[in-house]
Amino acid sequence: MTKLSNNPTELNELKALWQAREQSNSAWLNQLQKHAFDIFSSSGFPTTRMEDWKYTDTRNIATNYPQWLKTQPQTIAHTPALLDIDNSIHLAFIDGHYSPEYSGTKQLPPGIIAGNLGDLADCYPGLLQEKLGKLANNNDSGFVAINTAFACDGAALLLPDNQDLEQPIYLSFFSSTPEITIQPRLLINLGVNSRATVLEHYSSNVAAITNAVTEINCGKGSELTWYKLQDEHIDAWHTAVQYAHLDQDATIKTTQIDIGAGLARNELRLTLAGRGAHAEAKGLLMADAQRHVDSRITVEHTAPETSSRERYRSILADCARGVFNGRILVQAEAQKTAAELTNKNLLLNSGAEINTKPELEIYADDVKCAHGSTTGQLDETSMFYLISRGLNIDEARNILIRAFAGELLTDISIEALRNRVQSALEELEHGHVK
Amino acid sequence: MLIKINNLHVSVNETEIIKGLNLTIGEGEVHAIMGPNGSGKSTLAQTLAGHPNYDVTAGTVEFAGQNLLDLAADERARAGIFLGFQYPVEISGVSNIYMLKAALNARRKAAGKPEIDAVEFMRFVKEKAALMKLDQKFLTRGVNEGFSGGEKKRNEIFQMAVLEPKFAILDETDSGLDIDALKVVANGVNQQRDDKCSVLLITHYQRLLDYIQPDFVHVLANGQIIRSGDKDLALELEANGYDEILAAAKA
Repeated sequence: MTKLSNNPTELNELKALWQAREQSNSAWLNQLQKHAFDIFSSSGFPTTRMEDWKYTDTRNIATNYPQWLKTQPQTIAHTPALLDIDNSIHLAFIDGHYSPEYSGTKQLPPGIIAGNLGDLADCYPGLLQEKLGKLANNNDSGFVAINTAFACDGAALLLPDNQDLEQPIYLSFFSSTPEITIQPRLLINLGVNSRATVLEHYSSNVAAITNAVTEINCGKGSELTWYKLQDEHIDAWHTAVQYAHLDQDATIKTTQIDIGAGLARNELRLTLAGRGAHAEAKGLLMADAQRHVDSRITVEHTAPETSSRERYRSILADCARGVFNGRILVQAEAQKTAAELTNKNLLLNSGAEINTKPELEIYADDVKCAHGSTTGQLDETSMFYLISRGLNIDEARNILIRAFAGELLTDISIEALRNRVQSALEELEHGHVK
Repeated sequence: MLIKINNLHVSVNETEIIKGLNLTIGEGEVHAIMGPNGSGKSTLAQTLAGHPNYDVTAGTVEFAGQNLLDLAADERARAGIFLGFQYPVEISGVSNIYMLKAALNARRKAAGKPEIDAVEFMRFVKEKAALMKLDQKFLTRGVNEGFSGGEKKRNEIFQMAVLEPKFAILDETDSGLDIDALKVVANGVNQQRDDKCSVLLITHYQRLLDYIQPDFVHVLANGQIIRSGDKDLALELEANGYDEILAAAKA
């Protein structure tokens, strides 16, 4: 694998910016950052010569990353495009920084810690030191390493044992200053038998770079419903990696939704590490124009009797390019694992394209695993059936597109999120009816 | 006269299937078309419904005073044509009731009427479902999704009952039905007929015609109607098969 893709100027610029960063009061955090920067210095940003990055060229991000990192946030001219979620606990980040003004944490029940990571590192050093940087692997890509190297602003949510949190936790990251780089770092920890719903929402109304890393620990018997909405501006670039680690009998239900950005890359890495852990992972990718969206999931079963179901769908219009990579890895000790991965892709125009690769890698002998992928256009027989009932071509087409997004859409438990996805779907239908 | 087909020629992938077909159907009349496999029965059904893969190379079709061939498939449906499919497609994620409401409103919009009231729609649909002995759970399921062969056919006639067409083309609606389902389907069609709906029944078997009495029976062979008669013609076909009639037509 080729090392170092940064040109020396980029690296030097980043090094200067890194050294000039506001250092934390916590020695352990400075140490964590330094270690990560050392790794970044030798790895650089990924290039298309790497197998995992073959279809997604991040050169533009790499080139602009240091320059845009220097950009100071401006006072925002518009109200940020936030979702109006009933009864939520909201941590808002504007241009990468925590915004108490837009946040709402009044309803936070006692015992739950939620706030800006940088602030909490000072208040609860022990808690954070124990968890931060433990799941994220700086060797996975230069994006992870550089995020850790600057880890400061971002959201931390720590639920104690036996806490059933009714209100959804809304974590919003909105960029409104042109040509800014933001590096949100998120830490979510569910104690034993705790339950929570979390939405990560990324949006922007300018060209900006977002490079986010999330670490999620699900304690024994806990249950996390987790959504990520990537709704960035068409001139924005977005990369994000989430790591989730599940203990015994823990359940995670994830839904990744991509509807924006000029270039986006999202990677979810789940580890089912305790007996009986279960994951339901869904993804909906929608792209039009010349967008490039790369979505991937890896589920690693390392304990017996774990199960996972991955369902990913994409709808691509115009000249959009999609990339999907789904990987199920069953380690030798993970006997009696059940895993099923499906990926379905709908291409609305002949210019749209998807590269899809479902993979199974199994080292245990007593498992039940399946995977499949289909790619196609709208079914002509179904189209004619609807048209023969009196629907015009556009109506028939829209009904079938919506049906394709179907259950992924209806299963979204947060209404405001569902409505946003619904309207994005309508934009896709109306803008590109042929 | 509701529909008049004159010297119709139809090709699929440049192969001529219908070769000069003439047929006139009056309001409220039921015409049965029988014929051996490959004679062009389904091609006729698909062509009248406006399927884009069927090229009309010659001839005219007049429907309720309009040139039918000028209309796109959806316009034909809104003008009152209904096709009961031989193989109804399963559409996952689109509920039966959602499709029907959209279809009904498309018709109303074309007629300059407002959308149907939701309560009135439900009442109307439930009444038609009961007529077709279709369990209400089928209303909210995906269109034909997981339906048995018989349920699919009942669902076709149920849709016909809701959409109240002027002219229904039923393409082998009887195939795959047991006798009880056949009676339900026939009952649904007969009620429509009483409301002055004209019907073109495409079938292989005389059995259906015991329950839906046709005004006329036609034999289609090699893309043309080679013989027409009343319901006794169907009995004759049932007894003797097609060979005799085909031979007579050739001679």
